[in-house]
Amino acid sequence: MTKASNRYPSRRDVISGIGAAGLGATIAPRAFAQTKKPVNLSFWTFDNPQQRPWVHKRVKMFMEQNPHVKVDFQWFAFADLGKKLSVGFATGTAPDGFVSQDWFMPVWLDKGLLAPLDVKKLGYDNFNTFTSDYARAFVDGATKDGKVYGYPMWFYGYCNYLNTKQFKEVGLDPDKDWPQNWEQLGEVAKKLTIKDGDKFTRQGFKFAMHAAQWTMIQFNPILIGAGGKWFDESGKCIVNNEAGVRAMTIRASIAQKYGAEDPADSIATNPIPAMDFLKERASMFFCHPMPIDLVKANNPAMAEQNYFRPVQYPGSVTGKGISTTYGFNLVINAKASDEKQETLHELYKFMMADLVDAWRDAAPFTFAKKTGWADNAEVQKFPYVNEIIKAKDEGVFLPRTLVFNELADAVHRGVQKIMLTKADIKTTLDEVAAETDRATAAYKKA
Amino acid sequence: MTELASIGQYESGKGTGAEPSARPFWRLGYHSRVSLWGFAFVLPTLIFFAVFKYGPMLWAIELSFTSYDMVSSPQFVGLDNYRTLLSDPIFRETLLNTFYYIAGSTVLLTVSGLGLALAINTGIPGARHCMMVMFLTNLMPIIAVCLVWRLLLHPYGVVNQILQPLGFGRIDWLTNSATAMPAIIMVTVWRFAPYFMVVFLAALLALPDDYYEAAELDGAGPIRRFCHITLPLLMPTIFFVVVVSALLCARIFLMPYLITGGGPGNATRVLSMLIYETGFSYLKMGQAAAISVVLFAIMLVFTTLQMRLFSRSERIYA
Repeated sequence: MTKASNRYPSRRDVISGIGAAGLGATIAPRAFAQTKKPVNLSFWTFDNPQQRPWVHKRVKMFMEQNPHVKVDFQWFAFADLGKKLSVGFATGTAPDGFVSQDWFMPVWLDKGLLAPLDVKKLGYDNFNTFTSDYARAFVDGATKDGKVYGYPMWFYGYCNYLNTKQFKEVGLDPDKDWPQNWEQLGEVAKKLTIKDGDKFTRQGFKFAMHAAQWTMIQFNPILIGAGGKWFDESGKCIVNNEAGVRAMTIRASIAQKYGAEDPADSIATNPIPAMDFLKERASMFFCHPMPIDLVKANNPAMAEQNYFRPVQYPGSVTGKGISTTYGFNLVINAKASDEKQETLHELYKFMMADLVDAWRDAAPFTFAKKTGWADNAEVQKFPYVNEIIKAKDEGVFLPRTLVFNELADAVHRGVQKIMLTKADIKTTLDEVAAETDRATAAYKKA
Repeated sequence: MTELASIGQYESGKGTGAEPSARPFWRLGYHSRVSLWGFAFVLPTLIFFAVFKYGPMLWAIELSFTSYDMVSSPQFVGLDNYRTLLSDPIFRETLLNTFYYIAGSTVLLTVSGLGLALAINTGIPGARHCMMVMFLTNLMPIIAVCLVWRLLLHPYGVVNQILQPLGFGRIDWLTNSATAMPAIIMVTVWRFAPYFMVVFLAALLALPDDYYEAAELDGAGPIRRFCHITLPLLMPTIFFVVVVSALLCARIFLMPYLITGGGPGNATRVLSMLIYETGFSYLKMGQAAAISVVLFAIMLVFTTLQMRLFSRSERIYA
């Protein structure tokens, strides 16, 4: 037995121990209190019956785990969020953190309104490991000059949703006869259409006509698939070139050539864009991934009997259809204090840590991230999930431009003129391109 | 000595035994104090107008000479925004739409308001109750009105179903560029005509009976009585209704925004919508301010012309 092991603590040891413990007890709460200084954050997002409650749930959980953090959680209608943010930035009342639609990122970045994210605080080693966790297209809009400005969350593609019961009613097999090119879409839609005089009892296919963003989302893949582009290398709008005219002719053909839709019937009358499809007044509709709850709320029989399914978009080349993909990024206001930015990094990391939980609450909205969800058994058991993921992975993005709103409004007006007043396609697209170029010139000048 | 006289003497410093020099220089006279009190009472309203009305108006005029994206600070650009507007076909089309809407709505609001008031004024049983029911259109929330009319004017909606047995085919009220603006004017008239009906009715009830009795004795029929007595006497009210309804229509926003969203194409886009889109959607606040200044100038010219026109006609009829 060694001397040291037999040694009892001396009085000096005890006094030193008590002193050290006392000092520790005095310093520790201060140090603890320093890290737990109250932080009040404001956070905005868009409203959606599935996605917004999940975001809210994670924010509440974060606050429970971090009692010193208070988040003022606000949400706005999907189409209003961008405008609210603009006014917020103008008046100095923009939130500390928010969910940004992907197509607004160029404007926020151009005006220097976003703070760069520290990928290490989000759990990545460096910029490259961060970007390699996403398909390149998804992070392109969120990165600039080697810095990350957005943490991509939900990103999804549009699918062609079929009413399989109506397919079978007209002798079509939805698993084999789904339209794989635009001519097939027209022919199949024609077969599915039912008319009573000049009134459509059922439309074979339905394009959304109610909002500029939907017009863009639905026209974008037709344009790209037809070999067209929104802008040339110099930034000039070239939607009026030959490919653009071809794409718009395809867009118009479902109503004008095949007589399979009534473009006038649901303009601004449906509370949700997919209403005609959900109410079985339209047999096919291009839509974002459709949550079961949405179907159940509008058509319980369709949800229970499961007589709807997503397939890929038709293509200009058979079987090579592409859809539009878009999504959302978690971002931080450049004017937020360092402390708030730090807390927002923690919040975002926490929110994105459990994507399967997000899937559970908001399925089938897919994520930009490659890992951590797609191969999960719960995700895989969702009906036709691989079609939904394929649409996301193979989709084309909405144009990332500084004049997106002007372009979208011009295209929307053009589509209305062509579809509702039968205006000449080339002339109308010339007007659209001219309008967009004026907007670009004004932006550059400003 | 009456109280008034004593005040007067106090003010002048005579008859009270007090020398004028005895009053401290900072002590105000009675009339000055009364004026100051009056001013104090008016001051909150003046401040309200200065801060919330004339201040923003002046700021809007100032902004119209700048390039301002709501994020960076405004940059002076001179008349650039106005030049851009002149060369913008969307602005020109929207301006014409606005004139069309103002003219159509103002004429119909005046005529239908007057017609309804004349009908109510006949005193037929139940007329007053009808007036109350009609006035309800003014009390309904505008959003509800727009949503209901959107459904009524749907191609398969109630309006077309009523017209169908009368031999009309399907009318795409809101999706045809020829019918969309008349449809919005119709909704405007439906909503606001009862309000102006009340204005006209008040004026009709105030007209003296003597003229009508004399005209009746002279053998004048109802039409002549209307043309030569009612109409001239109602001129100030008609002027009021025309100006107020035109100003109301010039600022209309929610109806076209909610019913057609400015479409189809650009057929129902009015200046207030363009201001909103340019400012808040395209972040061109300077250009939006320029459009609002143009709208203001148009209304100012219109109101001035109307005032001159009607004052002349009033003199003629007087």
